[in-house]
Formats: sequence, structure tokens, C-alpha cells
Amino acid sequence: MQWQENTFFDHLDKFGNSLGAENFGIAFCLSTVNWESTQDRDAFIKSLTGIDAANDSTSNFNPGSVVK
Amino acid sequence: MGGKGSGGYREKASQNNPMNISATGGNGQSGKNYTGFGYSKNKEINEQKGGARMQGPVAPPAMPDIQAAPTSVAPTGTPSRLMSMSSLEELEPTGLPTSDGVDVGRGRGSEALPNNFNPDFRPMENAELIAKYLPDLINAARVENAPDSYKRLVNKLKGML
Repeated sequence: MQWQENTFFDHLDKFGNSLGAENFGIAFCLSTVNWESTQDRDAFIKSLTGIDAANDSTSNFNPGSVVK
Repeated sequence: MGGKGSGGYREKASQNNPMNISATGGNGQSGKNYTGFGYSKNKEINEQKGGARMQGPVAPPAMPDIQAAPTSVAPTGTPSRLMSMSSLEELEPTGLPTSDGVDVGRGRGSEALPNNFNPDFRPMENAELIAKYLPDLINAARVENAPDSYKRLVNKLKGML
């Protein structure tokens, strides 16, 4: 099983990181939307937050954290 | 009287009845003056008759042509409406940009909001939702090629419980 784009978890990744974990409820709901494409979703995020989710390559993931 | 061949003006004929209304919104029937209303009202009503004609059919407002809009094309081949969404920088009728009051785009940032304004994060509801779905979210984080940003998010959510 591989990570796939334009799925619920992919949407949750983008919305959760754009809106912040404290807005998880909103991010969760927006992730359940059947987005026509990832471009559509990213355009929505950009209009909402000003963050270009498509090119957000910043990563401060801690490899020593619980989830690997 | 009134038999075959009779003609001329007949007062009780339907076309001469001013109370008849054209179902298709015509301009009226006989053009004759209305009578029979109260004293001094006849003149007033007859003046109104000529003043307000039925408005003609109104064309519906034109819908934006999504083909002509500067849209991109989604991978499915259909033009995307979201890509042509109006910018946050568009000016409202007040003269301020739509993004006024938020920390992105033009206009004032969140410092323009009232001092007692607190974003409604609904921490209790969020915590319930996280507790309910966290096991599934963690499983998804273990999927091959799961992006670091997603794993980072899941770790944050774990820390919020």
C-alpha cells in the first residue's frame, strides 16, 4: 500500500499543515470533500491562507518522533 | 336587437370590461377610461393606468463563461472553477481588500481585529475528533511514501491529547 494523492489522508496532510493542528476539526471536514483535483484543493488553500500548499516543501519532521 | 349582424360598441362585452386582466401581461384592452370608482378616484386611477406599464421580460443575468475564464485545466480535462476564484486582494465596496484583518494579502493584519477577539479553536471538539481517529491517522502515517508533513501533523495531534 502506497501513499496516494487526492485521497482523504493527502487532503488532511495539506489542510492540517496549512490551517494548523489546532484547527484539526475544520481540516478534517475539508478533507472529506471530494476535491476535483489536487490543483483545485491547493488553489482553495492558497485563497484561504495565502500558503502555497502545492510547493510547501518545508519539513521540520523529527525522525526521532513516535510515528516513523 | 343584438341578433345576427348587430355590431357597434357593446358595454358589457368582455373586451370592454376594464376588470379583465390579460394573462400574458399585455398593455390593457380597451384603452377606455375607468369609471365607477369613488368620487375623485376615477381621474386618479385613469392617470395611473397610463403611468405604469408592465415591464417586459427581463433577461437573466449572464453567467460567467467558464470556458472563457482564465482557468487551468484539471488532470481530468475539465476546466477548474476554483482556479478562477477571486483574489483575496480584491477591493470590497468599503475600499478595503478582502484580506483586511488577516495576516495574509493586502490590508491590515490581525492587529486590526478587536482586542478581545479570540479565534474559536473549539479545543474540546478537536480533542474528541483526534481521539476518535488518531489510530487510523497513525496507521496512514506508516504507509509507504507517507510525506513527512503528514507524519509531523500526526505527531502534533498526538501531543494535543
